[in-house]
Amino acid sequence: MKSESNRIKITARMGALALQVDASFLNAFIIISGENGAGKTTLLRCLAGLEPAGGQLQLGGKMYLDSTAGFELSPQQRSLGCVWTDTALLPWLSIEKNIVLGAESMDTAWLAELAEMFEITPLMQRKPHMLSTGEAQRVALARAIYKRPSGLLLDEPFSAQAPAIRQRLRLRLKSMQEHLQIPVLMVSHDAEDAHVLAHQHWHIRQGKLLTSLPHHSRAGGNPDQQIKVMFHD
Amino acid sequence: MIESLLISLQLALVTTVILLLIALPLAYVLAFKTFPGRTALEVIVALPLVLPPTVLGYFVLVMIAPDSIVGGAWQSIFDSSLAFSFSGMVVASVLYSLPFAVQPVQQALRAIPVNWLEMARTQGLNLKQTLLQVMLPAAKGGVLVAAALSFAHTMGEFGVVLMVGGSIPGETKVASIALFDMVEMQQTDQAWILALILLAVSFVMLSLVYMVNRHGPDMGVSQ
Repeated sequence: MKSESNRIKITARMGALALQVDASFLNAFIIISGENGAGKTTLLRCLAGLEPAGGQLQLGGKMYLDSTAGFELSPQQRSLGCVWTDTALLPWLSIEKNIVLGAESMDTAWLAELAEMFEITPLMQRKPHMLSTGEAQRVALARAIYKRPSGLLLDEPFSAQAPAIRQRLRLRLKSMQEHLQIPVLMVSHDAEDAHVLAHQHWHIRQGKLLTSLPHHSRAGGNPDQQIKVMFHD
Repeated sequence: MIESLLISLQLALVTTVILLLIALPLAYVLAFKTFPGRTALEVIVALPLVLPPTVLGYFVLVMIAPDSIVGGAWQSIFDSSLAFSFSGMVVASVLYSLPFAVQPVQQALRAIPVNWLEMARTQGLNLKQTLLQVMLPAAKGGVLVAAALSFAHTMGEFGVVLMVGGSIPGETKVASIALFDMVEMQQTDQAWILALILLAVSFVMLSLVYMVNRHGPDMGVSQ
């Protein structure tokens, strides 16, 4: 594990919202919470490259943005897996084709593993309109992970899941993060998500990152020493 | 009569194919790009909607006359005149039906949900993949409408093809002009048949357009 392979030091402006985040962390599971309009989704969109931002951004050991050097990777080049609140499945493609969209070849073993993990195996040949919202959300998760991204950005990925499956998904996502050793930034309002998953729990208020205290010490190593946070208030 | 119908069908088919090749990139640029002269380009594309066909036909005729740059080049390459030829009619028809091909595709591209395009970007699709695997399937209905309207509109041309083609029997005399001649010569029975055939073609093409617009192309419900 490289130390501080992730560095987010960005500022962005979206209408009335001024986003200002400064944090360094290991490849860890980070839960982000905060009130509506606080800037959680905007932060993820900036990280994905979908919104313009200034500053420095390094995720999974890879540099994405350094505005002082005039360097910025496009969303296509960032190889991040994203799940947004709108799953954006293409209606004319089967679930399987949606998941492998854009991949050069089909890795059937990996695809089957992901289908199992997100409990969508029986849905693979169906079209998106035949799925429930919760099923579509799990397909979007599988799609985000299929291309083996160097980081995951998840915007309330369990919001449409029933409690029982939600717990299973948490545990699988957790072991997946530990296995792949990639940074996962997940927006969630569910205290249980934070309890089970978070190496760090970030709270965003009015565009500012307030705390990034480790939720508990299961992260391995000593997370306290790995965190540098600027308090902007 | 059959002869003129075949010329019309051939002209409509060739024109539609060429129009789609031109309209797809043009509609893409107009739908997604901002650049100086964008409005002017949109106006030029839309001009044939309001321009009298004879005006368009006159300009095309001047443009492709043997003593013009385009017409002269054609003459030296193919050793035949572009004016008063089938090829000349194709040039005129492409210009005349341009808005009918570009606008449906442009609207269909603009109607693609933004989050589909963002998904394509974060999933790492390059431009070619995005065009072929996301945009084109999503805009399929618009492309179908464009093809149907281009075909029907070219079948229904009169003024432009008369100016540019010159109504040469067996070469440039299309069905709509043949109908005019039949009426002039009081061949009422033949005129009736030809008129009904042209009406049927238009009816079928427009039915296709309305069916596509109602049902959408294999879209299902967006999640």
